[in-house]
Amino acid sequence: MEAPYRPVASVREIMNSVIDPSIDIVWDSVKTVIDDGRMTDFAPTTDEDWTEVRRHALIVGEAANLLLMPSRLIAPPGAAARAPGVELEPDEVRALIDENRDGWTFFVQQLQDSVGLALAAIDARDPEALLVAGEQIDTACENCHQVFWFPNAFPSVP
Amino acid sequence: MKTRIVFAVLAAVVLCAGQPALAHHPFAAEYDVNKPVTLTGTLDRMEWVNPHGWIYMDVEQPDGTVKRWTIEAAGPGQMNRRGLKRADTVDGMSLVIKGYQHRRDPAQANGRTLVLSDGRNFYIGAVGGPNDGADR
Repeated sequence: MEAPYRPVASVREIMNSVIDPSIDIVWDSVKTVIDDGRMTDFAPTTDEDWTEVRRHALIVGEAANLLLMPSRLIAPPGAAARAPGVELEPDEVRALIDENRDGWTFFVQQLQDSVGLALAAIDARDPEALLVAGEQIDTACENCHQVFWFPNAFPSVP
Repeated sequence: MKTRIVFAVLAAVVLCAGQPALAHHPFAAEYDVNKPVTLTGTLDRMEWVNPHGWIYMDVEQPDGTVKRWTIEAAGPGQMNRRGLKRADTVDGMSLVIKGYQHRRDPAQANGRTLVLSDGRNFYIGAVGGPNDGADR
């Protein structure tokens, strides 16, 4: 029996309000900037820095579980695709997920696995490993988006 | 050592606040495959960051003014595997970038190929771009 969950946000809102802001913090924590005649590497340095990045990785990893709740709406009631003709409409996304629940679960868990790599890199205080994990997180996101959000959005050159 | 480790998350967040696009977006929602651009100019700034790199370049216009373009590129891991290294990019160097213009921002593009001043040519497209042969 499903626990008495009471979803408050739609999948879109969880993506925009929970997952995206937090994963941006994880991604942005390690990078190289070429500017002003020099190359500068950015990475967390203090325990507080690493703890902050870890907190956001945990938010993403656990928020992924929210995506698996079957009663959650895809978008707020009445909301349409933000890029009609490129993105699927919310009811089309819903239909794809319902037809391919295993695929949806697979991609969500792929996201969690990649976040696990990020957590391991954070615990090891390893910026390079965190950069690699960041790419794997992006791959997990893209893999899912290309199946369930914008499967027809691969333009041909005229 | 040509690099120095500097923190921090807050600084990075501030720097990234000006990034022009959402981290995740379908190519076709942001960029117009019917508006190919070839940009010749100089590198002003480059950010090697996930999920997309960002190239900022100055392009001289026919009237002599300079337009600063923002180019979305692949992430650091993809660029590295294609042979483009961080040390290859120095601000002030000459660049030629081919890509597709943003649907709403006339000074932004999705980069597909990058030619450095030494003639080396790299595919810099991110996942999900058009099937235009840029990766071959």
